[in-house]
Amino acid sequence: MKIKELIKQDPGFQYVIDNMEFMSSAGRRKTLNTEFCTDASVLQAEWDRLEKAIQAIREYKYKKPYIELRHCLMQLHDLQGTLANLANHATLNEVDLFELKSLSLLAQTATGAIAGLELSRMLPLPNTSEVFSLLDPDHTGIANFYIYDSYDDRLTPLRRELSALQTSEGDPIRISELLAQQNEIQNEVCSRLSDQLIPWTDTLVTAMEQLAYTDLLLAKAELAIAWELTRPEIGDHIEYTSLVNPRLKERNEKAHLRYQPVDIAVRSGVCLITGANMAGKTVLLKSIGTAQTMAQCGMYVPASKAVVKLVDGIVTSIGDEQDEMNGLSSYAAEIIKISNILDTCRSHDMLVLIDEPARTTNPIEGKALVQAIVTILNTMNSITLVTTHYSGLGSVATRRLRVKGFVEGMSDVPLTPQNINRFIDYSLTEDTSDDVPHEALRIASILGCDQEMISLAKDNINH
Amino acid sequence: MPFVRDILRHRSLSIVGMEKNTGKTVCLNYILRRLNELGAHVGVTSIGVDGEQVDSVFATAKPEVTLYEGTHFITSEQHYMKRQTVSVLEAVDSHRTALGPLVTARVLVRGKALLSGAATTGILRRHIEQLSSRGVDIAIVDGALSRLSLASPTVTDAMILATGAAVSANIKQLVSKTKFLYNLILLDETTPALRDRLSGIPSGLWAVDSDGEPHDLGIASVFLIDRAEKDILRFGKTLFASGAVSDRLLRVLAAKGRDITLITRDFTKLFITPEAYMEFTRRGGRLMVLQRSRLIAITLNPTSPQGFLLDSKSTCDALSDALQTPVYDVKKITQ
Repeated sequence: MKIKELIKQDPGFQYVIDNMEFMSSAGRRKTLNTEFCTDASVLQAEWDRLEKAIQAIREYKYKKPYIELRHCLMQLHDLQGTLANLANHATLNEVDLFELKSLSLLAQTATGAIAGLELSRMLPLPNTSEVFSLLDPDHTGIANFYIYDSYDDRLTPLRRELSALQTSEGDPIRISELLAQQNEIQNEVCSRLSDQLIPWTDTLVTAMEQLAYTDLLLAKAELAIAWELTRPEIGDHIEYTSLVNPRLKERNEKAHLRYQPVDIAVRSGVCLITGANMAGKTVLLKSIGTAQTMAQCGMYVPASKAVVKLVDGIVTSIGDEQDEMNGLSSYAAEIIKISNILDTCRSHDMLVLIDEPARTTNPIEGKALVQAIVTILNTMNSITLVTTHYSGLGSVATRRLRVKGFVEGMSDVPLTPQNINRFIDYSLTEDTSDDVPHEALRIASILGCDQEMISLAKDNINH
Repeated sequence: MPFVRDILRHRSLSIVGMEKNTGKTVCLNYILRRLNELGAHVGVTSIGVDGEQVDSVFATAKPEVTLYEGTHFITSEQHYMKRQTVSVLEAVDSHRTALGPLVTARVLVRGKALLSGAATTGILRRHIEQLSSRGVDIAIVDGALSRLSLASPTVTDAMILATGAAVSANIKQLVSKTKFLYNLILLDETTPALRDRLSGIPSGLWAVDSDGEPHDLGIASVFLIDRAEKDILRFGKTLFASGAVSDRLLRVLAAKGRDITLITRDFTKLFITPEAYMEFTRRGGRLMVLQRSRLIAITLNPTSPQGFLLDSKSTCDALSDALQTPVYDVKKITQ
């Protein structure tokens, strides 16, 4: 699956891509076409290049080579269409030829800008000087282009006559004739040049793609620096120290709210996550999903330390995915989705993220279903995280983690619904009891909900 | 050689027509020829991709523009391919139009070409900058049909207004319509100090107190002005509208009080009819602008697209009398 599809499935990942600053549309296009990668050696190689790019930016950020390289990338046009025409032996027009001349000059300039630096070994650009020479018969050395007189002997006398006639406002019929002749010659020259350029198609494609890739790599490196991202290790499990959800972190910072990174380690099988409402269970699932996507798309991850297990893909059942358009209830949409997830996991090793399954149906059947889902996924190689409010599921899951949750006295300001975030400890703890936290009434009370409702509910529990 | 020397005192110029077929292109050709004779380095582009060879509405021939040696021009790829000049490509814009990317070229041998250009004033401004960076003395923008926005002083420094029989075949009506727009173009400017204070306000209706201090009236839309809880004139009778000014706003203000001064950015933000303006002014209302456009000339095309011909001299005289400014017949000055 490509990044352009992944961002539609994960708004958190979309946020990541939206924060990358590309110099060119070709760089953006190349990024969006990056595949979700399951090959460890490919990812390691990409992270190696990213690491070097980060070093290079740290060293050269405000120095000439880097500024020049960025300037080249800003001028890069996405010439996929033109290059496809060239490959198909179509005749290119003057604008196409101008674009190819600019590209060949750009590749030469970029090569010169980073010559001698580590970056140039990592991002080798093909030699395009012969293409440039072909399109620069008068040796001007600049990207300007037209059908130069030197391309065809007939052009000089023709244009001289045309110029004289135009200046003296001479015979319009003769002027039309000359213009027609000129067009014919120009077309011939374009056709000839197009043929001469065919052998250089691969060189030009490589030059453009390599420049686009350079843009992609620098955008990833700039983001890694700005967000303090970390190079993940590849292992047999997933483990993050100080995992961050970039979108939420930014939102909290804007609202002057505290943001607490989380440590978590999970292996194959099912990890149940319990915790009070508002304790950030759903966010945790989303953060893990986004980080995994970033890693397998060759990016660094938002944590201070990270181990990832490579998976074939990420499947999720998070949030209200009620598909009213299809006439499905929230329960029906969810259970079909989970059923599909189980099916996928029978043939693939996935990262499975399921948020509060079966929460919209009756608790007796709901719990029985969750038990069944957890039992099945627990025997599989996939790594599964399931958040739930159901208790008594401990025996069927490999592991249970609880979000510490609401801590009275964690902050010394008076507690209000607006600052409740300050009183929640989002860190995870190994859960030994088989019970889930019972804090729903307490939270309702903090939120200032109807007193009669809360006290009646308390009575109901006690009876 | 009327008004051409005036043009060279500015960095950019727009040619705006009150309607299609008011002779913008004839006027542009005249200017380009005179500027060439003066030895000026000219840059030229258009707004939008309106440059069909044959006018698609009335099927009248759309004259191409004659470009002279050394002129820089920006047009679309498709129009570039149809040019009748010899010219060197100097840049291809990444911004694409329906007619391909916009290209910048320099003329080697004079000839005719069709102009097209950016469809938004933002990109147009970038193109004017680009032409300036290529060393042109003046960047000229050929206006498309009823696109007044490019005449905004924030886009081009000066403007030429083209009017003609296409606006109305009735001389009286032609004069009154032209005079109305002319009066809006020449609205009084605020003080530079007030302009500095107000020009950064991004949106909304604001009150300006006697110290020139702006106060947000918290009115998100003109349509909510009737429901404003507090008196919109509590800070005084001077208001600033950051966005477009409509008939509705003028009428609401006329109803709210007498002697209100409404400040707008420039005349291109005014989407008002003479009737609403008259109601407003009858109640002592006054319109002002942060920045006035510099109107260099008014030109007249006495031929309507339906072939109707106004008498050139009497129409020019009627306009000149009403406007107290010279009006030129485009066909005559080019002869």
